[in-house]
Amino acid sequence: MSLQASAVESGGQPGPGEDVPEKKGASGGGFRTRATDLLSGSAGRNLGLVIALLLLCLIGLITAGDRFANVDNMMTVLRLASVIGVVSVGMTFVITGGGIDLSVGAIVALASVWATTLATQTMASDVHWILMVSTALAVGAGCGLVNGLLIAYGRMAAFIVTLAMLAAARGLAELIADKKTQVVTVGPFLDFFRGSLLGIPRLVIIFALVAVAGWVLLNRTAYGRRTLAVGGNPEAARLAGINVKRHQTSLYVLLGVACGIAAVMLMARTTAGTSTHGTLYELDAIAAVVIGGTLLSGGRGTIVGTVFGVLIFTTLTNVFTLNNLDTSTQAVAKGAIIVIAVLLQQRVAARSTPG
Amino acid sequence: MGAAHQAPDESAGASDRQPLLEMHDIVKHFPGVKALDGIDLDVRAGEVHCLLGQNGAGKSTLIKVLAGAHQPNAGRIIWRGEEVRLPNPQAAIKLGIATIYQELDLVDGLTVAENIHLGHERRNRWGFNAARESNAAAAELLGRLGHPEVSPTTEVGRMSAAGKQIVSMARALSHDAKLIVMDEPSAVLDQEEVGRLFRVVRDLSAQGVAIVYISHRLEEIREIGNRVTVLKDGRTVATGLEAKDTPTKEVIRLMTGRSIDYVFPDRGAGAPEGDPVLEVEGLGRTGEFTGVDFTVRPGEIVGLAGMVGSGRSEILETIYGARKPTAGSVKVAGKRLRPGRVGSAMAAGIGFAPEERKSQALVLRDPIYRNVTMASLPRFSRRGFMHNAEERRAAAEHTGALDLRPNDVERAAGTLSGGNQQKVVLARWLLRECKVLLLDEPSRGVDVGARTEIYALVRSLAASGIAVVVVSSEIEEVIGLSDRVLVISDGSLVHDCPADEIDEHQVLDMVMEGEVA
Amino acid sequence: MSATARSRRTRTLTRIGALTAVAALAVGCTSNTPAEESNGGGDDGGTTAVSANDDPGETVTIGFSGPEADHGWLAAINSAAREEADKYEDIEFDIAEGTNDPSAQIAHIESFISKGVDAIVLLPTDGAALTEAATEAMQAGIPVVNVDREFSNEFAARVTILGDNYGMGVSAGTYACQLVEENDLGDAVIAEIAGIDSLPLTQDRSQGFEDALAECGQDVDRRVAAEFTVESGESAASNLLQAANEIDIIWNHDDDQGVGVKAAFENADRDEFFFIGGAGSANAMRWIEAGEMEATVLYPPTQAADGIRLARLLAQDKGLSDLVQVEVPRRIVLNAPVVTADNVEQYMPLGFES
Repeated sequence: MSLQASAVESGGQPGPGEDVPEKKGASGGGFRTRATDLLSGSAGRNLGLVIALLLLCLIGLITAGDRFANVDNMMTVLRLASVIGVVSVGMTFVITGGGIDLSVGAIVALASVWATTLATQTMASDVHWILMVSTALAVGAGCGLVNGLLIAYGRMAAFIVTLAMLAAARGLAELIADKKTQVVTVGPFLDFFRGSLLGIPRLVIIFALVAVAGWVLLNRTAYGRRTLAVGGNPEAARLAGINVKRHQTSLYVLLGVACGIAAVMLMARTTAGTSTHGTLYELDAIAAVVIGGTLLSGGRGTIVGTVFGVLIFTTLTNVFTLNNLDTSTQAVAKGAIIVIAVLLQQRVAARSTPG
Repeated sequence: MGAAHQAPDESAGASDRQPLLEMHDIVKHFPGVKALDGIDLDVRAGEVHCLLGQNGAGKSTLIKVLAGAHQPNAGRIIWRGEEVRLPNPQAAIKLGIATIYQELDLVDGLTVAENIHLGHERRNRWGFNAARESNAAAAELLGRLGHPEVSPTTEVGRMSAAGKQIVSMARALSHDAKLIVMDEPSAVLDQEEVGRLFRVVRDLSAQGVAIVYISHRLEEIREIGNRVTVLKDGRTVATGLEAKDTPTKEVIRLMTGRSIDYVFPDRGAGAPEGDPVLEVEGLGRTGEFTGVDFTVRPGEIVGLAGMVGSGRSEILETIYGARKPTAGSVKVAGKRLRPGRVGSAMAAGIGFAPEERKSQALVLRDPIYRNVTMASLPRFSRRGFMHNAEERRAAAEHTGALDLRPNDVERAAGTLSGGNQQKVVLARWLLRECKVLLLDEPSRGVDVGARTEIYALVRSLAASGIAVVVVSSEIEEVIGLSDRVLVISDGSLVHDCPADEIDEHQVLDMVMEGEVA
Repeated sequence: MSATARSRRTRTLTRIGALTAVAALAVGCTSNTPAEESNGGGDDGGTTAVSANDDPGETVTIGFSGPEADHGWLAAINSAAREEADKYEDIEFDIAEGTNDPSAQIAHIESFISKGVDAIVLLPTDGAALTEAATEAMQAGIPVVNVDREFSNEFAARVTILGDNYGMGVSAGTYACQLVEENDLGDAVIAEIAGIDSLPLTQDRSQGFEDALAECGQDVDRRVAAEFTVESGESAASNLLQAANEIDIIWNHDDDQGVGVKAAFENADRDEFFFIGGAGSANAMRWIEAGEMEATVLYPPTQAADGIRLARLLAQDKGLSDLVQVEVPRRIVLNAPVVTADNVEQYMPLGFES
């Protein structure tokens, strides 16, 4: 039964950006093959982003010198990246699972407002600031649950459901806050989240923890595997016994919780909760995720890429501000860098994929 | 299959004319792969030229070269005596070469006429699309194809696969094609539709249009082809064989490089014994099928024969819990399953290899091992964390046992041939040590050589004590593979008998007529 | 949802929202509105002239339409207008639902015309888009008072009341110059945190700032733009602080985003500079009182309230008492005063909660 002598297919090969580790012996020859081996790993897939970020840092170093390359500035960049970073890690899961969530910014706003109402803050200062945190997380999870149930069980398009949530959550946030900025007065809350550990701001540590947890969850657990399967081919996942609807719902809840965490971080960073928090997070997060290399159509996701995506954006703004560039120039350069980063990413990924 | 065996005779006069198309020594490299390594092909006007070869033999690449989608690294293409280059698809279309791909490239949201004229829309003198003129022209083309009943204003998304094929052909004709390349046009059609397709092909060749016809089904080639070219490993191993006079064995030998006696494995000695492991009682789903009763013993292969739309695939999916029955029950080893729950069926030991392997069974981008373990994730996770090494090892063990070649579980499932993909799906269920295996069209998209292997595998799985239910639109396959044949017509079971007591003609009559002949 | 002057109705809703919170979260929260502070619009700091203008006259109907109050300053403007109208027994106040849709606002004007109101006070979402509707009203004999955002045609309004964005910049710049001189800063490092950069009002403020600084030989060394939100203020300010190790003076255009800007100062542990704000929120006033902020430049949230007063005078055929001219002037540009620790008490009533 050795009829299937060769399974080499001429057509139907995976497109650029696919990850097909080539294990064949090096028949083609030296450098190319070794490079291919090197690029086929996780490092290789993100090499384009690494290059883009390094280039950006180089530009920062040349144009702003010490003002760019000092620990304080690095920490500022990381601190500014941390909030949108947490949301983007959550977004990576939803997009990998074949969904989309436009309501993240609004959920962040609602969670921040709900957790900073006079009543919540009064209770928090009487009992413990953890009440503010749990309020924000519960609001985030609740919004995510509503999104997920409507999408998975209500069979509505994710785009529409989360667009509705975007409007509703921000509206509710405005009603609760009366469109005012609610200043955080709970001292211990601010002290904790604005503090540092070993010279690293706690916000940055939270971001790192969320990213590591996200990476493990996506790459090392059955949950992550199911996420990839549900995003890659929901019908096949269903027929393989995966509860697709429940899984999809859980992805939105997960993102909702991430939004709750982000809200807490933002409350600490700005010392306030307001309905204008999280403006345009949906676009920033989706952009970071996609630049990172997660497929917008689902089925492939990379947390490392997402983190790089976020860092590229934040570093960009930092370098521009250090150079005193006006906002219009920044916007033009931002557009250019997005295209360059994705191009680099595609080129490198194509090299690491035979055919 | 047994019917209509007259091959068209128009080719007799065409044989000494100058070829319409000649391809000499075509070579095409992809990084790491030599897809074409010296292809020769000549096609005459008005003939049906069959192109055969296993998956990976280079058929797809060759037609892409011919369609102008790929540029060959070497070789010459001669069109009506003149050497030509086909730098892009437009150039090929301009010459009169039209290609109908396997995945039909039609736009679902547009009408038949709009699809036919896509890219060369009829315009009135103000530059707007001239709908009426376009519809009239489309109607004329459809009439020429012998399908005047297809309305030019129907939305293509609402049409059957067969209907779409007709539209694709009409589009080819609208470009005034002299040569139409058809890539496995019969793959998604049932027998009646195949019959209509053949009528159209014959009409076209009678009008002087040359057809390059690619198929896995050797019997079709005998029925419709004039001449045959066989490809293997990117080379032409035989060309210009007369379709009528070349024995099937010889064609298979050329394709696979070895000769095989018969594609179906022997049934085991003696009928399987023991209590039925799968019991289906009065199963029904409103509007699809009713009152389906049958049982399968361990080690037995039961085949369901029926036309597309007879309800055969629906029955299988309902047993598996992917559809919720409106009546009846399914028992495995005496235990009743929760209706409409895939989880319940899986837990009881049912495995299912669906009809559309690529869209229903596999995550094509993912490596093989992940596709194998997809239904057994809890087994490889400790407190939620995946045990990757264990997972790869177990997957490789099962794919190895099924003779997956190459047995490299890191490859993306999408890079595999149809036969190997089927093995991946089977490995998924073997990993779960399933008791019952439901196979919907197990050989769809699998080439001849690999089919034999799949059949042998199914038989050996049965021999190991698994109860197997096979659904197929190829009656020959149902009879050849099964111990027992169930005939489905119009949503009900019309016949149940041992496979060696029935032949293709009887089954064909029953699926058509709905009663015992 | 009504987005006009935030009043009792919204507060009730807030409570409902808050109560839902209790039910859903068991974390509990009720009304969150901080202790009511009197919003702007009161008698402006004891400058009332003695006249008979405040005596009740014939009852007049005044129609008011403004944009949705999605920003602290706009919310303040609406509530100030309402409170002003409530003060006069002879004003029948007809307030339309706040909207950011010019066509909805045009519809409001048309309904005012058909109702036959005596005067209209209009804060347009877009001055140009509402010029036509306002002209119609004027032609129908109804005087229109145009507030804050100017129409494209002069004849569309009887009176135009404007805040002074350029003047804000000038005030901030002049005050910065004064600081440089008083503290002997020499060539001071001056930074500017603007609002949304594409808005004309932001450009006007920046221009005024630059022009005033030039008068004393200073310039803007660092400039970043935020988006009028707390969060954007924090990010912009954080990056700004990294860009310069030593800053002498920072002018932030908007006190709403100022909450974030101030958080960024605390996050970076920096306070070597004079911090000047803009707009004049109650938060900013409190900071000034507490010595956490040097000054803020007022952009009065009383324009609509002034508009209501003038509309009443117009409808009752009265003039401005302190002018010799017997008629109400055509154009009033409000001053942008600097609020510092010295005079914050006086301006506190004008500070709006944001």
